[in-house]
Amino acid sequence: MTQNTKIAIVDDEVHIRALLEQTLEDLEGEPEILMAANGAEGLALIEREHPQLVFLDVMMPLMNGYDVCAAVRRNPDLADTTIVMLTAKGQESDRLHGLDIGAHHFATKPFDPDEILELARRILRTS
Amino acid sequence: MSKTAGYLKEAWTRQQFELAYPLLPAGTAAAVWFGGKPLAAVGEGGAELSAGAPAVLSFDLRLEGEVLGTVLLRPPPGAAAAAAAWGDLLVHGLQGVIEAQYARHSVAQETLESYREMALLQRAVSELNHSLKPVTVAASLLKEFQGHKGATDFGAVFLRNADDGSYSALGAFGAAAEAACAALVQSRLFAAMDGQPQGDIVNDLAQSPLWAGEVAEFQSLLWLPLSVPGESLGLLVLAARRPEGFAAADLKRAQTLVSVASSALRNAQLYAAEQAMFQSFVRVIATAIDAKSPYTAGHCRRVPEIALMLAEKAHQAEHGPFAGFTLDDDERNALEIAAMLHDCGKVVTPEWVVDKSTKLESINNRLGLVALRFELLRRDALIGYYRAKAEGRPDAGQDYQNRLRQLDEDFALLETCNTGGEFVSPEHVERIRRIAATRWRTAGGEEFPLLDENEVYNLSVQRGTLNPEERKIIEDHVVHTIKMLSQIPFPRSLRNVTEYAGGHHERIDGRGYPRGLKREQLSIPARIMAIADIFEALTAPDRPYRKAGTLSWAIGVMHRMKQEGHIDGDLFDLFLSEGVYLAYAREHLADSQVDPVDVTPYLDSRESSSNLA
Ligand SMILES: [Fe+2]
Ligand SMILES: [Fe+2]
Repeated sequence: MTQNTKIAIVDDEVHIRALLEQTLEDLEGEPEILMAANGAEGLALIEREHPQLVFLDVMMPLMNGYDVCAAVRRNPDLADTTIVMLTAKGQESDRLHGLDIGAHHFATKPFDPDEILELARRILRTS
Repeated sequence: MSKTAGYLKEAWTRQQFELAYPLLPAGTAAAVWFGGKPLAAVGEGGAELSAGAPAVLSFDLRLEGEVLGTVLLRPPPGAAAAAAAWGDLLVHGLQGVIEAQYARHSVAQETLESYREMALLQRAVSELNHSLKPVTVAASLLKEFQGHKGATDFGAVFLRNADDGSYSALGAFGAAAEAACAALVQSRLFAAMDGQPQGDIVNDLAQSPLWAGEVAEFQSLLWLPLSVPGESLGLLVLAARRPEGFAAADLKRAQTLVSVASSALRNAQLYAAEQAMFQSFVRVIATAIDAKSPYTAGHCRRVPEIALMLAEKAHQAEHGPFAGFTLDDDERNALEIAAMLHDCGKVVTPEWVVDKSTKLESINNRLGLVALRFELLRRDALIGYYRAKAEGRPDAGQDYQNRLRQLDEDFALLETCNTGGEFVSPEHVERIRRIAATRWRTAGGEEFPLLDENEVYNLSVQRGTLNPEERKIIEDHVVHTIKMLSQIPFPRSLRNVTEYAGGHHERIDGRGYPRGLKREQLSIPARIMAIADIFEALTAPDRPYRKAGTLSWAIGVMHRMKQEGHIDGDLFDLFLSEGVYLAYAREHLADSQVDPVDVTPYLDSRESSSNLA
């Protein structure tokens, strides 16, 4: 993991952002953690900062996670950005749709911190 | 300390600093350090400021008494008071942010711990609750610690015997785990754990007065009781080869898992107890059926042995007709239960039919009554002789002799027919009818036929001792077996018991009973049942209708049954080629029965060649 590793958290719920941020602080190499509170802001952040990894909530105001994901996937500059969709329990049926539009992974909220860390490590190691 | 560094974000702090800087007396240099790092510096020489240098004002940033950072100011001469006021205000603001961040982190940490525990529980619950056997529960629990990042070197689940309070290992991992378990149970430390409501960590075993180095490698240890309300089930013991091998978080994690494992273990134990009770019920019924008739004694106990031996060979076969046949634990259990209960319908079959060793037997053998009537006729003949002699007839003696010979011959015929050992021809039936027509007289002069209708009917039975109605009663035992077993709400794993048990008198050509099912309609275990039933009956010690048969005779009879389409040829070949008959015979038959058998002529050459294909 290089010093300028960037991870973006895009979620409208402040407690999810806080919890994810704190979870990711346990990552080695102190990656820079960027945050956005809605889809439109999130897409702008991703296009500006080119994070290696994005945690993207599905249900958000202004622009939902799938639309953000689709927009990221349409942008060839962001081909190296890995997207982890955050779904609430019960939304798992939407996963197929997410995979369809190019999300790489899914995590169900409430998430298992160890699982998130493991997933982030795996993704950042190969990116 | 690296976590606390995040309480003040660099970008935000710098912005804050720059916004406030114009309020300082002109010419002031200022810097803020936090978590050992410079976050911001303004004014000439700001980056080089250090605490304790001349004319430098320093303000601590604290969290719960601990100094985490410093704000440094070097005002120009005469501006110290104004700079100090500025410093107080800024520190007050930053201090508030640090405390808020600290509170947020603490709440988040707590929440994340709950998330962790919940995720662990979710995973553990589904895994542990899927274990129906105590040993699987122990294995699932231990798996959570084996190779876990805590580097636990040894783990074991000990089960407490409720009767005598002794402990035995139900599962363990680690080097020389078995020996370690044995040594551990003997230790005073282990004795001290017994009955404790809560577990603990022993971080330096060498210092423990209860530990005498029973397992030399163990340096630290974690233990927890497995219990459900009101009952202690056992203990979980983890050990490490280094001191301080376990932390409070490890104990908490283990507690979470143990709470789930305890109820799973309890359930598994209850399930095992239910299973054991069901098994013994089945055994009791099998024993009752066997005990009902001395002639079938041991049948229900031996048929399962043969059936399971043959089924096992079919399961193991990798080529030939049984390559695709497998038998899992549930199916094995189902076959065993079916084999034990296959004749349970016999509890409603009248014993006198089951045991009917002669044709005139009902509750007792009526040949005695017939013999008595013959005795009367002999007496009548003797009286006739005296009477003829008194009348002076010259041939009286000869007539008497002829009459006696006739009676002896007739009775001998009835006696022979009665045993069922010989085929009764139409000529024999004719003679029986003629004998029956002979009349005997009471002292009062009333006349009766020598044999009544029922006696004639029974004696005329061509083969064996049973008349058609009685044969039906015997055959009906399978119907009763099926009816009885259909009443039992077998769980899914045993849903085939009735089919297996109810098919043991079916023939693969469809001429069996009670349903007349054909080969394709019978499962392999049902066909195995038929072979096991016949083989046991043929080799059983003694039966009403014949003496104990030899092995070669039984195999010969069964080979004929295969040719006639009675039993499954593939299974019979397997029975011979895999030596099932011999393995069984060596263990269960009298030495006198086990004669040499050459099975090669019985094995179908066409089928053995197709097996190679
Ligand atoms: Fe039977
Ligand atoms: Fe039987």
